[in-house]
Amino acid sequence: MEVIKVEDLVKTYSDNEIKVHAVQHIDLSVQEGEFTAIVGPSGCGKTTLLNILGGIDKPTSGKVLIGGAEITGLNDRKLIDFRLNNIGYVFQAYNLIPVLTAYENTEFIMLLQKWPKEKRESRAIELLEKVGLKDKMNNRPGKLSGGQQQRVAVARALASKPKFVLADEPTANLDSSATSQLLDIMYQLNQEENITFVFATHDQRVMDRAKRIIKLDDGKIIEDIKVG
Amino acid sequence: MTFKIAWRNVWRNYGRSLVVIGSFVVGIWALLFGTGFMNGFMVSYSANIIENDISNIQIHNPEFKKDLDIKYPLNNGHEKALETRQWEGVKALTTRSIVTGMIASPQKANGVQIRGIEIDNEALVTNLDSLISEGKYFNGEKRNTIIIGSKMAENLKVKVRSKVVLTFNNIDGDITAGAFRVIGIVKSSSLNINQLYAYVKQNDLNKLLGIGDEIHEIAIVTKPQVDESSIIDKYNLNFDGDLAESWREISPELAFMEEMYGSMLYVLMAIIMTALIFGIVNTMLMAVLERTRELGVLMAVGMNRGRIYLMIMLETIYLGLVGAPLGLLVGWLSILYYQNTGVDLTNYSEGLEAFGYSSILYPYVDSDTYMIITIGVIITAIIGALYPAWKATRLNPVEAIHTI
Repeated sequence: MEVIKVEDLVKTYSDNEIKVHAVQHIDLSVQEGEFTAIVGPSGCGKTTLLNILGGIDKPTSGKVLIGGAEITGLNDRKLIDFRLNNIGYVFQAYNLIPVLTAYENTEFIMLLQKWPKEKRESRAIELLEKVGLKDKMNNRPGKLSGGQQQRVAVARALASKPKFVLADEPTANLDSSATSQLLDIMYQLNQEENITFVFATHDQRVMDRAKRIIKLDDGKIIEDIKVG
Repeated sequence: MTFKIAWRNVWRNYGRSLVVIGSFVVGIWALLFGTGFMNGFMVSYSANIIENDISNIQIHNPEFKKDLDIKYPLNNGHEKALETRQWEGVKALTTRSIVTGMIASPQKANGVQIRGIEIDNEALVTNLDSLISEGKYFNGEKRNTIIIGSKMAENLKVKVRSKVVLTFNNIDGDITAGAFRVIGIVKSSSLNINQLYAYVKQNDLNKLLGIGDEIHEIAIVTKPQVDESSIIDKYNLNFDGDLAESWREISPELAFMEEMYGSMLYVLMAIIMTALIFGIVNTMLMAVLERTRELGVLMAVGMNRGRIYLMIMLETIYLGLVGAPLGLLVGWLSILYYQNTGVDLTNYSEGLEAFGYSSILYPYVDSDTYMIITIGVIITAIIGALYPAWKATRLNPVEAIHTI
């Protein structure tokens, strides 16, 4: 099943009359359960593409269909709802809510989606167990290491069973043992829950684990390889 | 959830939150104490005037009231006084004969309002005996004794035991004079008492005036919480043709001042609240801009603008809800303290007394004021939060996330 479909996507930033073509005429399709990395040098348009896929940013032209439904024309309010109900995010800088504990951060999206309490509780604990942080669930982010925070972020992203998870440089701030631990967890969740992952990264360790690598340069796809 | 995050956000930056809470506390305290102080001023001012000078109710012949002509006494004044004194709500009552004239010492002369009083009843009605600062109050034995105000004594350069001469027209229009010995000097914050009135015994005055036992004025002090108008209505019902007035009519400027002071609360509140609003806007805006990235993330993961708005509003309101009770408590305690000890303004009292204020003030605040201030503070917090909260919802998640 096709989770993401992109048709002739263009994103142009104009700043002081200089036009920057961040994304140029991209066509792309991502199937359910993929573990895909979008790679390329800094400024190649990875993050822009990811933001448009996630409905945070709007394209200049072209179409984005998520689960067959077009999101390009949605207004802000509908986009927020769309993001809430379809997408999980993992950011480079973890971006947990600092005043909430690991457990509350994990529960957060489900709360916004108004899940009943028992379901929230069991799902949050299940996920924290999977990312190996059940014993730290009452710690606030400030009391967790970078790797641990990013694992909580993964738990948060997956908690409400989104259609797919977007991860923007999730390992950039992590050392190698934390990175491999995180990648193990994400891969395991990808396998167990059949959740689609799309990374933007230039970390070789992530590329090594990816099942599909889309190389981007100057806003265009220059290579799209399936691995394994 | 939003409530929980907002509450915890309040305590993220202790220093800053405490500054805002502190400004709520100081603002409310200043408001309470300022109001209490003004009330204290007003009460001491009006109480002095009502208690020592004009009383709650005065009754005259309407013609007398026009220009204090002694030809217009209150008909059957003593009988009316006798009956009215028995009425419920009347605490004390006295009669006076009144004439304007001249008072002269060997050195100087002054205009004067001579009040022929019933010595015991006058003490009950105006506490004149308690105002004596030198000498003593009338004791009924000696004839032609007089009590004058401190300022008048100063003007005339007389002391206790000095002689003064009163000159005025009697009932037939002839100029009459009488020598009186000063037995007491009174001091009050009332200008009338200090420099206009001279008190003599009613018999002495009436003899010189040639008006027998007629009187010109009845002054009534009502019991606490008694509405003056009920007694005035009853008086008018019983006795025809007299002019009975409450202190509000006798001294409209006093009634006006009381209203003025009431509205000063709102003026003071507007000033302090405005200052508070700027402080809140500044702090909350800082709190929003500092958390740009975090708010961007919240929006990115699906927290809608309404909730973000609510969160920032709540953070501000929480600050107010913490600050308000503290401020009310501090204000209440300091008023409670000064209510008993009084605020001593002796150092400034020369200026104050010239305006008829007493030098020790007892601030007080009624319960309505606490209510009004509480509501005002909550409104202030809400107004102060509007802009920062709106600003937070205007953030663009893409930019916000990439702000470091």
